[in-house]
Amino acid sequence: MIRFQGTANTLGLLFCGTMTASMSHEIKNALAIVNENAGLLDDLILLSEKGRPLNPERLKTLAGDIRRQVQRADSIVGRLNRFAHSAGQPVTTTDIKEILEFTAALAARMAAMKGVTITVADTTILLQARPFIVENLLWLCLKHLFAMSTGNQTVQLGAESADSHVVIGIQFDEGVAVEEIGKLVTQEGQPLIVALQADVSVDAHRHLIQLTLPKKFEE
Amino acid sequence: MRVLLVDDEEELVSTLAERLAMRGITASWVTGYRAALDLVEHESFDIALLDVRLPEMNGLELKRLLEVKRPSMKFIFLTGHGSEEDFNACSAESGKQFYLIKPVQIEVLMAKLNEIFQP
Repeated sequence: MIRFQGTANTLGLLFCGTMTASMSHEIKNALAIVNENAGLLDDLILLSEKGRPLNPERLKTLAGDIRRQVQRADSIVGRLNRFAHSAGQPVTTTDIKEILEFTAALAARMAAMKGVTITVADTTILLQARPFIVENLLWLCLKHLFAMSTGNQTVQLGAESADSHVVIGIQFDEGVAVEEIGKLVTQEGQPLIVALQADVSVDAHRHLIQLTLPKKFEE
Repeated sequence: MRVLLVDDEEELVSTLAERLAMRGITASWVTGYRAALDLVEHESFDIALLDVRLPEMNGLELKRLLEVKRPSMKFIFLTGHGSEEDFNACSAESGKQFYLIKPVQIEVLMAKLNEIFQP
């Protein structure tokens, strides 16, 4: 168990690194747009000093554009902050939908880069677990899909209740090598699977990977 | 000087194109690799400014495809990442002096464009 805890922490570090790199890139993009919009304002003022009239509507549009990018960056920082705090979060009772939606939000940019769209089914089931480890295991499934993606694909995250367990479903498009993804996730994610007392299964006919977790975590 | 800007952030490339136009540079912009490849079929550019992390195809791969179509085109890479891995890969393609990290000041970009543009 100690060995698995150690490797679960190592996987957690890799997860943190990947997500913070992605979010910092998004923030850089928002800052770059703010920079260009502010520069354009400078340019327009400079031109006005040389006699070209300033168009107030244009200025309003630019101010609105800057505000939108600030809101965008603020939203990314909010996500980053929540993610950073979740790493040390103990076992807690959470609605599985919150975990699925947060994982989808974390992975959204990387999904877009690979031409993948992530959707989350509407579901409400309470789960007692460390959310960070569940997110990490879900991320491994998405990561391997992204690595194989040839673009224009969708993946749906959902969950259903099965007695004392929650079954999280990761539904892929037809043609995705779901068995291969399941194999890779089971191998790489073994410490997370052990930590969550989970089980990973593959239903190739339904293009589905299922993560079965106990609703109540036993220490 | 004709410049092609390729970045998935539309607001970034459209604003940058307008600012370059104010400085006498004809700049066209696209937000994806397919549009970039289509555009260079019909139009010629002296320089392409490529985001390293483009959706579905990275800037390095796109550079190689554009080069096949337009062997004389020159390239500057733009990235938000600034990772050592990106820096080494892009520097090997275009030289380390033509690897810019977002946000970039227009004066720096203008200096790089003028430096790389050798008619």
